[in-house]
Amino acid sequence: MSGARFRSRPSAAASLLVPLVLIAITALVGANGTPSFQGTVTLILCNLIVVIGLQVFVGNSGVYSFGQLGFATAGAYVAAFLTLPAAFALLQTPGLPDFIVDADLGPLSSTLIAAAISGLLAIVVGLPLMRTSTLAIPISTFAFLIVVYNVVGNWDRVTGGSSGLVSIPTTTSVESAGLWAGAAVVLALAFKWSASGYRLQATREDEVAARSIGIKVTRERLIAFGISGVLCGVGGALAVHQSGVLNPATFYFGATVTTMTMLVVGGARSVFGAVIGAIAIAMVNEALRGVENGASLFGAISIGEAPGLAAIGLGLILLATMIAMPNGLSGGREAGDLPWLRRLGSRTSAPLSRSHGAVATRPAGHAVKGALRAEGISIAFSGLHVLRQIDLTVEPGEALGLIGPNGAGKTTLVNVLSGFQLPDSGTVALDGVDVTGWSPARLAHDGLGRTFQAVLPFPHLSGLESVAVGAMGMGVGRRRAVAVAVDVLGRLNLLEQAALPAGSLPPGGQRLLGIARALAIQPRYLLLDEPAAGLNEAERGELGAILRGVMKDFGCGILLIEHDMSTVMELCPRVQVLDDGMTLCIGTPEEVQADPAVVESYLGSSFLAAVDA
Amino acid sequence: MTELGQNLIDALALGSLYALIALGITLVYTVMGMMNFAHGEFIMLSAYALYVFAGLPFAAAVAAALLTGIVIALLAERVAFRSVRNADLSAQLVTSLAVAAILQNVVTVAVDARAQSVETPASISESTSIGSISVPNLEFVTLGLTAIVLGCLGWLLYRTRTGLAMRAAAENFDMARLLGIRADRVIAIAFAISGVLAAAVGVLIVMQTGQVTPTMGLTPVLVGFVAVVIGGFGRMFGAVIGGLLLGALSSLLGAYLPEGLAPFRDAIVFTFPVLILIFRPHGLLGGEIGKARV
Amino acid sequence: MLELREIRVGYGRIEVVHGVDLSVGRGEVIGMIGPNGAGKSSILRSICGLVPSAAGEVVFEGRVLTGMAPEQIARLGLALVPEGRHIFKTLTVAENLRLGAGRDGEGSAWMEQTLERFPILRERASQRADRLSGGEQQQLAIARALLGRPKLLILDEPSLGLAPKTIDVIYELLQDLRDEGVTMLLVEQNAARTIDFSDRCVVLSTGKIRAQGSRSELQRNPDVLRAYLGRQP
Repeated sequence: MSGARFRSRPSAAASLLVPLVLIAITALVGANGTPSFQGTVTLILCNLIVVIGLQVFVGNSGVYSFGQLGFATAGAYVAAFLTLPAAFALLQTPGLPDFIVDADLGPLSSTLIAAAISGLLAIVVGLPLMRTSTLAIPISTFAFLIVVYNVVGNWDRVTGGSSGLVSIPTTTSVESAGLWAGAAVVLALAFKWSASGYRLQATREDEVAARSIGIKVTRERLIAFGISGVLCGVGGALAVHQSGVLNPATFYFGATVTTMTMLVVGGARSVFGAVIGAIAIAMVNEALRGVENGASLFGAISIGEAPGLAAIGLGLILLATMIAMPNGLSGGREAGDLPWLRRLGSRTSAPLSRSHGAVATRPAGHAVKGALRAEGISIAFSGLHVLRQIDLTVEPGEALGLIGPNGAGKTTLVNVLSGFQLPDSGTVALDGVDVTGWSPARLAHDGLGRTFQAVLPFPHLSGLESVAVGAMGMGVGRRRAVAVAVDVLGRLNLLEQAALPAGSLPPGGQRLLGIARALAIQPRYLLLDEPAAGLNEAERGELGAILRGVMKDFGCGILLIEHDMSTVMELCPRVQVLDDGMTLCIGTPEEVQADPAVVESYLGSSFLAAVDA
Repeated sequence: MTELGQNLIDALALGSLYALIALGITLVYTVMGMMNFAHGEFIMLSAYALYVFAGLPFAAAVAAALLTGIVIALLAERVAFRSVRNADLSAQLVTSLAVAAILQNVVTVAVDARAQSVETPASISESTSIGSISVPNLEFVTLGLTAIVLGCLGWLLYRTRTGLAMRAAAENFDMARLLGIRADRVIAIAFAISGVLAAAVGVLIVMQTGQVTPTMGLTPVLVGFVAVVIGGFGRMFGAVIGGLLLGALSSLLGAYLPEGLAPFRDAIVFTFPVLILIFRPHGLLGGEIGKARV
Repeated sequence: MLELREIRVGYGRIEVVHGVDLSVGRGEVIGMIGPNGAGKSSILRSICGLVPSAAGEVVFEGRVLTGMAPEQIARLGLALVPEGRHIFKTLTVAENLRLGAGRDGEGSAWMEQTLERFPILRERASQRADRLSGGEQQQLAIARALLGRPKLLILDEPSLGLAPKTIDVIYELLQDLRDEGVTMLLVEQNAARTIDFSDRCVVLSTGKIRAQGSRSELQRNPDVLRAYLGRQP
């Protein structure tokens, strides 16, 4: 148990090497570079920090925000206010309160305060925005960007209006930029590999499945949004202390496109991608600007004239990447996950071994007393009655099979039980508590787990990570979650493939992984939606044996929807048959198979007559 | 009272303009599921046609603008958007962002980053009186044009075979294909119409401001997006409502905001949809993200 | 007329159809039955081009369909009445029908002839399609498919969600069509009716064909029952 981790030591080390290399190169430049070259590199590093800020939110959540540069603007202006010498402040920003005008902070403290304020702003803005849908977030964050631009550009007395601010102390050295960039990389990696980061990634991989293991989507997005705001604020603050000038257009549309291009081209899912994207695109930008033979300013700063040719080039690169290489240069992998390390033989973690005894995420003594009970469930869509007054009970520790012809309403019933659909009438109770209308995440926290007909895997997470995130959905810390995951995977004979990405497993393995993921929440009741679908004969047999083991080891009640009668017969002492939204009969498998009404519903009455004849 | 009447007509005119923008965006969204960031550049490029063809009689220049809108829209679809047709929403959005950036900067390089002035017929800047209200002629043109456009669009969608195919494809793309409706054609027609709508908006904006700049498409496309979102995704009627509401809000704020707050009008207008989304995450009329599939 | 050779269909990494051969001759009515999850719908969807087949070939009147776009396949004369009907709810009945009819507009002889068969639809022509009952929607879906004068009519669970009496009505209609020589591929979960109705039936379970034959052959075949209920009667 103590040896289990998500990635081997060499792999983690390689990923963490990136910031060190970054800092080392920066130190070299600082020692040997010309002032103008140092300035170039500094700006590239500031850009890099903003891109990392973008990555923290966009890469982990899979949701695009076009407003992050609004936080860079906020950070830049705050930093400028705090460091502008009083004489200049009185001229340019007469509307600022005295204590800010008089403040003459150093680079470090002004950057920290700017970061804090940007982060706070991100939380405030994120609170309403993260609750909206995945398509509304890009649009509303874009609106936020324009709001910031509008406010900053018109609040003349405080911000200097559209002409902006000048004579800001240029205190950012290339070494300090390098250190901040290195810190940003470490922070981004630490978040990505934290429990919260994993939970957010799960929502990116499959939002529905993430909810079913107790993850609160809005909350996780908000956390990342806040961290992203902090990082963007830092980038803005450092940039403004490099160039000495600032105006509302500095971090606006052009910069948004540039940083977005950097992230996408590098590969949004990984921090490494953000780094190489930022550097690659900065170099391309340099080359293109050289062609334009224009400015000596570059990176995020746009002069009054739009870059033109360089921007066209970047736009084309972004377009080409979206069409041909959507995963970017890094393919979404961190430095430590790249194939070169695998060839050195230490890609996977040390052989995972099972611990002794089940690892509990639920406090002991939390014995299940009451049943999962649905009463009078009715639901209709556009005039069609899908479920009519259905009653269903799963006793603690028992397995109930649910069968019936297509369109009988089985999956709808499971959706109602697991909170994905609201019934028109009827109640669902768990251990005596009325849970009708509870969200899937809340039900998961209360011990209701489920699998999906379509599996809904987390394709880019490894098997181990996929299952561990199930435990993390319960609020368990990373270390404990890994232990739980190893335990569950061991029982399902999945340890060998646990380090592989979930999307690369064969169908049988993916199904089992889906079950393992649901088990990681230590459910009191487990709803299995056609777990045998798509499996061949041998795999079905294996599944049956595994489910038997699960029932024995975990003691949870199981509701098994299946069409494959042999699996149902093997596992379920009781079977309920649904047809046309109503319960046809409930009994032992043998009783059900012989029941004329059941045979008729599947095969029709004339067939029955022919068979009996 | 007169002032109120005047302000209401102003509001209606601006709302109509915004409704046109929102319609263009929705049309493409309903058949393709994509929110087209580059729609603003369709507007901008059509407007630049007026600048390029300034020597011609105005009517001819307007015709050139319409043609430009259609051609650019079809080109963008063929070259850029077709390849990401089946990608997810975010990927499509970012792709359209790339196209927008490219188009915007092509014009910057080809013409200039600065605004260029465009002459419009003098009669447009005059006003006509109705009773005690003096209405700028441009607003008549806007309202009239919107009415004509809505009428034509309605006729196309509800009285022609092509429109029927588009409505069917908007509801259930796969089923439409199973009936022999050509996917490529439906999408191309939707883009072409959105190009016409964009051109109309571009012409109206030029008549209002008298100039063109490469960045003039940015605010309109955002307005359009926001209108679509508050009206409810994928509903043409919702887009019109959203546009009217947003336009009315912006116009009335312009008329009634105290002077100190006046420059912040845009900020207030764009905060408003966020409020709507908080209480109705799917927009005022509701709508579905994603489309029906067989 | 239609031939499937070694068809494999999968979604992502999950293969649901593991090598199926099937042939439908002109004028024949072929039934495909089996429990849900057997892969019946997947096969139909791959024939019509909605889902690519992972392997194998679909050949229709000598032309290879695999890889063609759905609209091209439809124009070759295959009409699918999909599971769940999928009529256009926001359009009127008449509009739904017009879509099926292609070049033949309203008032044409073919349209008239077809509407004769479906008096309910004529009655409700100007109503929105979502106001129809389940059975009427099914009729609309079939009429819509017929209006295209298909060479092969494919029906995916036409009796799904319908009351027994309504199913009778639908099957009477199908019988008429059959008498007129329309070639049909019929997928159903309810075995008895389908076996009764079709010239030949194919029993599918977990992606493979378990049994096939004529009515008399299948009614005596214990594999059919086993495919559904996993036991020998």
